[in-house]
Amino acid sequence: MVDRSESFLPLKPQWFHILLSLAAGEQHGYGIMQDVLGRTTGKVRLWPATLYGSLKRLIEAELIEESPRRPAPEMDDARRRYYRLTALGRRVLNAECERLQELVDAIHTKRRTVAE
Amino acid sequence: MTMARRLYQRMAEAFPHEFKLAFGEEMLRDGEDAVEQIAQRRGLTGLLPQMADLAVRLPVEYLSEMRRDLRYAARALAKSPGFALVGILSMGLGIGLATSIYSTGWQLLNQPLPDAANASRLAMAEAPVSYMYIERYREQRNLFSGVAALETGIPFNVGGNNGTKPQRVFGQLVSPDFFAVLGVNAEQGRMLDPVLDGASGTTSVVLSDRYWRSYFGGAADVVGQTLRLNGQNATIVGVAPRGFDGAATLSPSDVFVPVTASAAMAPELANDVLHAPHVRRFAALFCLAPGVTLDRAEAALDGITRRLDKDDPAAPPQQDKAKRVVLMPAGTRVPIPRKMLPVLDGFYVVLFALILGIACMNLATMLIARGANRRRELAIRLSIGASRWRLVRQMISEGMLLSLLGGVAGFGLSVALNALNAQVPHPAGAPVSSAMGVSWHGALFAFVVAVICGIAFSVAPAVQTTHVAVGPALKQGAAAQLAGYRRFGLRNLAIVGQVTGSMMLLLIIGFLAIGIGRGAEVGPRFDVRRMILASFDPVRDGYTPEKATALFATLPERLRDSGEVGRFALAAQPPFSGNDETDANLPLAADGASKKIAVVANDTVGAGYFAVLDEPLLAGREFTEADERTAGSAATGAATPVILNATAARSLFAKENAIGRRVRNGNQVYEVIGVAQDLRTGLGMQLPTAYLPLTARNFAQPGPSGITLMVRTGGGADAVAGIRRAMAAVDPKLTLFDVQTLGDYLELNRYAMKTATRTYGGMALFALLLSAMGLAGVTGYAVAQRKKEIGIRMALGARKLQVLRLVLREGATLIGAGMILGFLGAMALSRILSAMLTVFARAFQVGAGDPRLVVGVPLLLAGVALLACWIPARRAAQIDPLEALRQE
Repeated sequence: MVDRSESFLPLKPQWFHILLSLAAGEQHGYGIMQDVLGRTTGKVRLWPATLYGSLKRLIEAELIEESPRRPAPEMDDARRRYYRLTALGRRVLNAECERLQELVDAIHTKRRTVAE
Repeated sequence: MTMARRLYQRMAEAFPHEFKLAFGEEMLRDGEDAVEQIAQRRGLTGLLPQMADLAVRLPVEYLSEMRRDLRYAARALAKSPGFALVGILSMGLGIGLATSIYSTGWQLLNQPLPDAANASRLAMAEAPVSYMYIERYREQRNLFSGVAALETGIPFNVGGNNGTKPQRVFGQLVSPDFFAVLGVNAEQGRMLDPVLDGASGTTSVVLSDRYWRSYFGGAADVVGQTLRLNGQNATIVGVAPRGFDGAATLSPSDVFVPVTASAAMAPELANDVLHAPHVRRFAALFCLAPGVTLDRAEAALDGITRRLDKDDPAAPPQQDKAKRVVLMPAGTRVPIPRKMLPVLDGFYVVLFALILGIACMNLATMLIARGANRRRELAIRLSIGASRWRLVRQMISEGMLLSLLGGVAGFGLSVALNALNAQVPHPAGAPVSSAMGVSWHGALFAFVVAVICGIAFSVAPAVQTTHVAVGPALKQGAAAQLAGYRRFGLRNLAIVGQVTGSMMLLLIIGFLAIGIGRGAEVGPRFDVRRMILASFDPVRDGYTPEKATALFATLPERLRDSGEVGRFALAAQPPFSGNDETDANLPLAADGASKKIAVVANDTVGAGYFAVLDEPLLAGREFTEADERTAGSAATGAATPVILNATAARSLFAKENAIGRRVRNGNQVYEVIGVAQDLRTGLGMQLPTAYLPLTARNFAQPGPSGITLMVRTGGGADAVAGIRRAMAAVDPKLTLFDVQTLGDYLELNRYAMKTATRTYGGMALFALLLSAMGLAGVTGYAVAQRKKEIGIRMALGARKLQVLRLVLREGATLIGAGMILGFLGAMALSRILSAMLTVFARAFQVGAGDPRLVVGVPLLLAGVALLACWIPARRAAQIDPLEALRQE
């Protein structure tokens, strides 16, 4: 099978944030929003329409899927849907992380040469 | 705060159904929570990004849904290719024809004159004026940025200096500021210039790009070369830009000669016409100063013209209150009088509406029929949770997809039609429409029409067919009883509308086609291939007026003596020319008791004209060479002999004998020496015509078509050679042009009419085809609906004929109603159109009385429509009752 993950790069920022939030495990929409907010210390806020629109497209692109697994009953919110990464989604996320890492490395190298 | 929350709810509600189904509730909750928090912390302005987020995502989600709908619609259509094909074909035909009409007619009316920078500010006087007046108008600098004079359709003999045959081309005689007034810049060299070419006797000439390419092969060094024009040397100073081939005319102009040229170069300028206040021959082209309206310019011109008329002692006194100068916008290829524009635009709009209307009605009826057959599918989808709005949207997408595909097909069709039209040989001097090909305007038009029609005409069917009672529909599927036969149901209205439209289109177009076609029926009793027409123009071959007069006196005898030429006659224009709109009309008053005045067309013909045409006069005699001499010498003071055609004689003298009677036009007195059959009928009308004798003056000042020599021959190519030899023997310098048989000439002359008839005929055929398709589809659908009912009837003993009648009766009622409405509509429309335009009035007058139309069209339409109903009805009669009843 041809690896399609390259075709998604570079990822849109909001897609990247969603995938990153799902990397740890299943999460629902509101959870993703909170996670992103916390991770970026309030700098990136996924507004609901953008969030769910992106989720819809990520599902269509088969990067994420709805998860049948629910958290423990006492923590479960029955009205919420949970999402998780697909295998493709994980590959895409990794590829994007690698790409960003290379960028960051490049920046460091540049800084060093400038500093010297 | 609650307001912000409510607003958020409203906007979230507006998202597409599918989206809400999956994410709506969570989005609403998250959003509401956020709204509360943010409003508490940052006030209302803090909510702005959140609202903006909704507002931006809303259209995005809809677009994505639409894409999905269209994909789904494409799959659905692919599953029923027959339905799709018929739908695309009918929309394609409709949109294709409309686009075709749009790209030619509509653009002709509205497209700005190519390469003219001042196009939007141009205006032209409707009637020609004298050059002196134009010079006075030009002084009004506060009103006009410039005023140019031009005369169109002027023939020139080009070349012929080193033994080559001169070529006759058409050009415009223009004032030196012509190009500056239009705002046309040179492609090469320079355009005419008021300073450089203002002095009389200038020899500058400007070529059209077309002519430069065809005659000089696009040579780069053309500027500065010498061109022989009517035997005189002219200097080519420039080449006009590619798209520009003259103003105010459809016929392309190849050379632009300044009015300051010598009379030898342009015989039209003889007799000092530039300084003759009464020679009103020039079109006045105004470039309005910025901010000056057409009305203001018109009012000012009226005042100036009245003053000029009053100051001129020789001018006939005028008491009229009417405006002396009427302006029309001139920024398009053909300036059209302002009061005619709404008529022409209206005509096109009506055509569009009828053609597209029929196609769209077809689409609507097809969608209804299809919807009814899919009731089971729709019911299933409704019962498992699809919203009705969702299904409506789905069906609209299908209609729109059909319409869009139809639009593509239609655009292809219009391109093909244009290519086909280009294949038809253009006669020389016929309007060439290089700029009128299908352009992106046409494509855009087709697209917009397709989208609008697709949406508009699938809404109603979609709403109707999704109104399904789920239970019965699930049980019975397509066979479920409909809400009953509704006399004013959507489907019936659509059929009636369709028949009405077809009837109107067929009748209106039929009137026009027959009215126009009548003109093409005119022709002589003999074989038109056995008459050869050849034209010559002594003046443009370098003759002085004296020499031309001498030629006139001796030419007939020398031709007879040569033995090469059979029976012949001369005329100032080819026979059956039918260009009555351009001919000057004579108002003739009968002397004596009746005092009637008739405005008649006039033809100038030589001795033996009617004999050569095999048209014996009804009374009296025709012109002899002696008549030509007396008519030419004004000194004798005798009345000029005239021959009237039957219609003219009847309108002047009723049933009295016209021979020997006198008629007058002002001071000019004519004596009727003969009455001829009605020969020329132009648009099929019996135009009253007066024939005047050819005189030496016609040789000294020939019109644009020169002098025509008409020769009867036994056929064969050597006849032409004989005529050439005979003319060469008279004077080798005389160039023959437009040498052709009468048949060829008539063919060219009818070209425009034939094109029009072909186009209109094609449209009428299309209308018929479309209606038949729609009717057959709808009747077939009705039969399928009533299969069970028919089966029961037949099981109970109904005979085939009764079933047939049952099905046909419903169709016939609708067809009948549509036809009556269509007939009334066509009558009303033709009245409106004729009231507004004389060309229509004439065509309708001739066409409307034609039994072929008044009886034939309804019969044809009824026949086709009934046939379209009969085919499915026959199928109904062949229903096997057992099978139909078993099908539960």
